[in-house]
Amino acid sequence: MKSNFKENYKEKKPTAISEIYEQKGTMSDEEFEKFIIESGARGSFMVYRSDKKDEELGMDEL
Amino acid sequence: MSISKSKIKSYEKILKNKAYEEYELWISNFALNLKNIWNEHSAGILNTNSTDTEKHAIVIGKGPSINKHKHLKLLAESNFSGSIICCDGKLIDTLNAGVTPEKFPNFYVVTVDPLRSIKRNYDDPIVQKYGSKIKAIFSVVSHPDAVESARNAKMKIHWMHSLVDYNEGKKSFNYITSVMVRSKNHSKGLPAIQTGANVGTSSWFVGWKILGCKKIALIGINHGWEADDPWDLILSHTLNNNEMPSEPINIDKTTDSFKKLFPKLYNPDLKSYFIIDPIFQLYRSALLEFIERAPQWVSTYNATEGGSIFGKRVKNLKFSEFLTKSASKSLT
Repeated sequence: MKSNFKENYKEKKPTAISEIYEQKGTMSDEEFEKFIIESGARGSFMVYRSDKKDEELGMDEL
Repeated sequence: MSISKSKIKSYEKILKNKAYEEYELWISNFALNLKNIWNEHSAGILNTNSTDTEKHAIVIGKGPSINKHKHLKLLAESNFSGSIICCDGKLIDTLNAGVTPEKFPNFYVVTVDPLRSIKRNYDDPIVQKYGSKIKAIFSVVSHPDAVESARNAKMKIHWMHSLVDYNEGKKSFNYITSVMVRSKNHSKGLPAIQTGANVGTSSWFVGWKILGCKKIALIGINHGWEADDPWDLILSHTLNNNEMPSEPINIDKTTDSFKKLFPKLYNPDLKSYFIIDPIFQLYRSALLEFIERAPQWVSTYNATEGGSIFGKRVKNLKFSEFLTKSASKSLT
């Protein structure tokens, strides 16, 4: 995954966000997945998880 | 903001499934890289015994705060003596701003993404100009065309694994590729890093896990949006190839569902609001978790001056303050 801050957007007129709101609950798995798909994301990496918690912080030699 | 651990785990699983859509690309990239991996350096050689016992580093991301606060100009005009760890997507801007390996000889660039589009980050006259003095760190699944562009710019290529499935044992991609790497020249293998699913977090890991830096500052690592960023920018996150989307995500901004996906939240360190999208929620959660779990000898300074990174073991300060304290060795 990558975070794409598109420089060329600066040329577009901003639509400022005026409302301030609190988070309305937690998104469901379905909402999260729908966002991932609709955003056009192409996954390339993930957060690595292991039962060996130290390995999650990387390994000097593999 | 707090999302439950079970929820994060659930989102991570979804992201992992999505990532596996690139599985064939990982395999073909690795296959095409293997001969070069055998003949080039392990990133493991980069942790040298420095005379600088504190070993400072600055991770440069491409979040919007870096331009807003002119951090690259500030850095270019500084006498920072530590390592520069640049995310690939900000390399060209960084060099153009005068942050070059001639001024900062410990200059690294990091790529973890397997997509061919990353190649463009290495195809630029300014990269050609300074390439020979830049140490590039690539994941073994980086696209060979991207690596070749860095090689053509005379960068010194260094390899590492990015952890994806090593926990799944001997049939895992990580295990199989590690055996193949060790079969020639790299008897001890390569370092393997947690990516946190993005190059910014990967670069922070490179900073301490590979380079052994003890005090690491973050700039341009927003993992969120400024409250006044335009919606079409916010809604465009993760669209592929950094291209302008033909259509932003079609979502009704008045619904509760929308507010769940794009909460506007408060950063108490900066006393300002930020917008965070679902992808950034995951990135943020992971980076904060790993900062908290990092060895005690690692200190992380968020000098981004914007965004969502605040929490345990994150020391927030202005970038100018970091540079001053780094120079006087007075970072605490």
